[in-house]
Amino acid sequence: MPEPAQIQESRPDTRSRHGLSADEMRSLCDRILSVAKADHTRVNIESGMRGFTRTATNRITTAGTTNDVTVRLTSVFGKRIASVETNRLDMESLARTVKECEDLARISPENPEYLPELGAQRYAVVNGYYTTTGDLTTEARARAAALAITAAETSKTVAAGFIDVRAGSQAVATSKGLFAYDSGTGVASTLTVRTRDGSSSGWAGDEGSDWTTIESPRIAADAVRKCQQWRGKTTLEPGKYDVVLEPTAVGMLMLRMQTGAFDARQADEGRAYFSRKGGGNRVGEKLFDERVTIVSDPASPNAETSPFTGAGLPVSREVWVENGVLKNLSYSRFWADQKQVAPKAPPTNLIMSGGDASLDDMIKSVKRGVLLSRFWYIRPLNPRVMSYTGLTRDGTFLIENGKITRPVTNFRFNQSLAELLQNVEMLGRPTRVAASEDSSVGVPIVVPALTVRGFFMSSVSDAI
Amino acid sequence: MDSPIGRRDFVKIAGGATLALGFAQAAPAPGPDAAERDLVLLALDAAKSAGATYADARITHGLFEAVGTRERQITNVTKTETYGIGVRALVGGSWGFSATRDLSKDAIARTARDAALIAASNDKVAPVPMRLAPVTRVADGRWITPHEIDPFTIPIEQKANLLLTTNAEALRVKGVRFVSSSILSVRERRLIATTDGSMIQQTIIRLNPDLTITAVAADSSDFQTRGRVAAPAGRGWEYIVGLNLPGNVQRWAEEAAMKLTATTVEPGTWDLVLHPSHLWLTIHESIAHPTELDRALGYEANYAGTTFLAPPEKVLKTFKLGQELMTVQANRNEPGGCATVGWDDEGVAATSYPIIDKGVFVNYQSATRDMVGWTSSITGVKASPGHAYGQDWSAIPFPRMSNVSLMAAKQDLSEEDVIGATRRGIYIEGDGSYSIDQQRYNFQFGGQVFWEIRDGKKARMLRDVAYVARTPEFWRSMSVIGGPRTYSLGASFSDAKGQPGQLNAVSHGCPIALFRNVTVVNTA
Repeated sequence: MPEPAQIQESRPDTRSRHGLSADEMRSLCDRILSVAKADHTRVNIESGMRGFTRTATNRITTAGTTNDVTVRLTSVFGKRIASVETNRLDMESLARTVKECEDLARISPENPEYLPELGAQRYAVVNGYYTTTGDLTTEARARAAALAITAAETSKTVAAGFIDVRAGSQAVATSKGLFAYDSGTGVASTLTVRTRDGSSSGWAGDEGSDWTTIESPRIAADAVRKCQQWRGKTTLEPGKYDVVLEPTAVGMLMLRMQTGAFDARQADEGRAYFSRKGGGNRVGEKLFDERVTIVSDPASPNAETSPFTGAGLPVSREVWVENGVLKNLSYSRFWADQKQVAPKAPPTNLIMSGGDASLDDMIKSVKRGVLLSRFWYIRPLNPRVMSYTGLTRDGTFLIENGKITRPVTNFRFNQSLAELLQNVEMLGRPTRVAASEDSSVGVPIVVPALTVRGFFMSSVSDAI
Repeated sequence: MDSPIGRRDFVKIAGGATLALGFAQAAPAPGPDAAERDLVLLALDAAKSAGATYADARITHGLFEAVGTRERQITNVTKTETYGIGVRALVGGSWGFSATRDLSKDAIARTARDAALIAASNDKVAPVPMRLAPVTRVADGRWITPHEIDPFTIPIEQKANLLLTTNAEALRVKGVRFVSSSILSVRERRLIATTDGSMIQQTIIRLNPDLTITAVAADSSDFQTRGRVAAPAGRGWEYIVGLNLPGNVQRWAEEAAMKLTATTVEPGTWDLVLHPSHLWLTIHESIAHPTELDRALGYEANYAGTTFLAPPEKVLKTFKLGQELMTVQANRNEPGGCATVGWDDEGVAATSYPIIDKGVFVNYQSATRDMVGWTSSITGVKASPGHAYGQDWSAIPFPRMSNVSLMAAKQDLSEEDVIGATRRGIYIEGDGSYSIDQQRYNFQFGGQVFWEIRDGKKARMLRDVAYVARTPEFWRSMSVIGGPRTYSLGASFSDAKGQPGQLNAVSHGCPIALFRNVTVVNTA
């Protein structure tokens, strides 16, 4: 194996970009491919930095930085395929990895679904690396955390928060001439504020690709306000309610649709909500309210994702649901081959169209219902109807005659997402939300607030 | 039978290993690599020079091998290796952490200094005093998961053939259309050094077998799955052999098919007989998590949440969570447990102690050296119980639960005895959908297989079952538990906690148990 050029990892204090550059990636991929002996070889590289600052009990509890580069090699002989991943980039280790992967592939049973690696492709142009995020220092994160701590101390409450920053690059190359490179950043800042006696809790958070879109003062103010407004909550009977879902609540549910719901094979095999009784899928059917439109777009500003999949398949803007009609499903290369259609990558983000209603407009429109801030512990119940269970959290309020009248206890919900999208009443303006339950930088989700009829709260939760 | 190897061949392959599930003889635990030893000492020196009053360094080398199949074909053969160093430094009362995959001396010294500088930077924001609980120095600690056969010595072909044979057996059952199966093997070397003078090398071996069988109605109007048939374990390959997947899969496949025509459950109040393959998860969510000390102190408020078992001074030694028959232990020494180790990431030796004693909450678990002092005036415990764990070199060690297990009855009650004590109930096997609130009050659990119990006997299969309860009332309703012969471990490889999220592998042992008057909902 040729001697590798020096691989320079970006350092947090140099203000250079984190992760390997395109040239470094190409050079590393070329070196690996030049010694590969398999019929087909694919190299996937991810590199970058993750920095975090965590607060609790009104102090910073942990903070840190991690730098890593991982190389995943996929070797194929005929239809025998194996993958080996390592983060040891010295010449000896890479040579060993290539040999180990090829040895593994040779002895692996055939995978009849394997299709030869892709050659060069054309990809959407995505500019998802924001230096405002990549250059964020430990001190800047600490200052943002301090702002939340000060707000909590001033209001005699207790703050617990998390600032998660990622910056890096990825590449894929194949022995058939494909090379793709992408770099990106992401940041999430979330804050929970609780009363000192633990009787109330409020939450606020932002997520984006660009640190300048993270409004730390507003997050601190909103979390404190929610905590104060939710004080003195009282019980409300479980049952079906009209609800106003704040964008974060909508995003936490819609994240479930991003992960696998639009897979054609699952639908065609009779294993999904989009399966048609008697076989096939429901593309072309009107399944949701006509104002529901769901797209994905790797180039969407402040919600960027990679424009290629791990196998190098292009990811482009796709319309999944338009005016309530299921328009498309994603097709792996194998399933596309089986069905004689073009392969289509699954959504890498999820963008739902909205309307122009403000949250106040929505509350005013509800005669008797509940305002929900966000959810917790959402888990699938019944995939045939896309139903989920989960709990409300950090701000649940009764609405009567267009006004919030009192804070109420949390609920468990058991709710079909399909029904929810059929029962939409009003839509707000879409915004990117922190949709992952652990508040780490996740799949970009851009959604509006929604007013929805008949949301099923199945039981009361005493949790605060 | 359309499978790459026949049953006779499989027996031949398996024949080399004992089928006994008894605990394996311990293989000798290797000591540290001399070069790695020098590197962790270098890291500690650099952190101290940069102002750390305490530091620990961990070099971990993780090896993961996954073999996956669906129906009659391989879907993936993957090996993953991750190697690097993480350094944690204490300055004033604040922690800093830095980690790198670059194991050059310069990079390690820089990383260790970064950890101390981050700690110092944080300490300026909100300085707080901190005192670490005392720890016994371990100059040369060595530990390895007790096992007979290292899973990495079993060839890929053998693992693949075992899975494909299992799939083929499942597909013989009418109505079964899809089967996916996989085995994940893990071996991790973990070298820990602390400025207290401890140097500990551990090798952790774990296995995670998985199998999901899907039956589809003839007209595609319905599908049902049966999965979660075998638990992950901290054991060697002999564990997989003992599962006899090809020999047992027919029953699981038949259960998947039966679910298509099973009676949908009548919602209401039912007695529940919960098999250990199901109950472990209820223990995990409703006992293990709420008894974590860091949750009680508010450290997890922004993610996992807090707990109904707080504040410590109002609940320790007084809160009654169950009847006298309920005793729960935290146990890092549990044989075969996924969280079983020799020492934690702060060099504290593995311990075993009661959390619930005869129904009364007596100790928190998931405490680390910087937290145990919060409760020592109530419990009298001044030493850390040893719960520090970071998932690998790139992750900061923080409080993680050990194995947490419900003790079996001293009486030798069998599964039949427990079912026999039930006039009208539902027997639940296997874990299914699960969800619990952030203070661990309200939970809802599904399962894999449900049988209606009538007059002390399993009568007919039910479906669409989930039960909802409030944690204290649920555990107080536990009325009968099985004896030691009904005790077994369930486990998860992926208990998520912390920000950034980290995964912890953990096991929970329990006997079969009967709960009275629990609310059941229909999930159809």
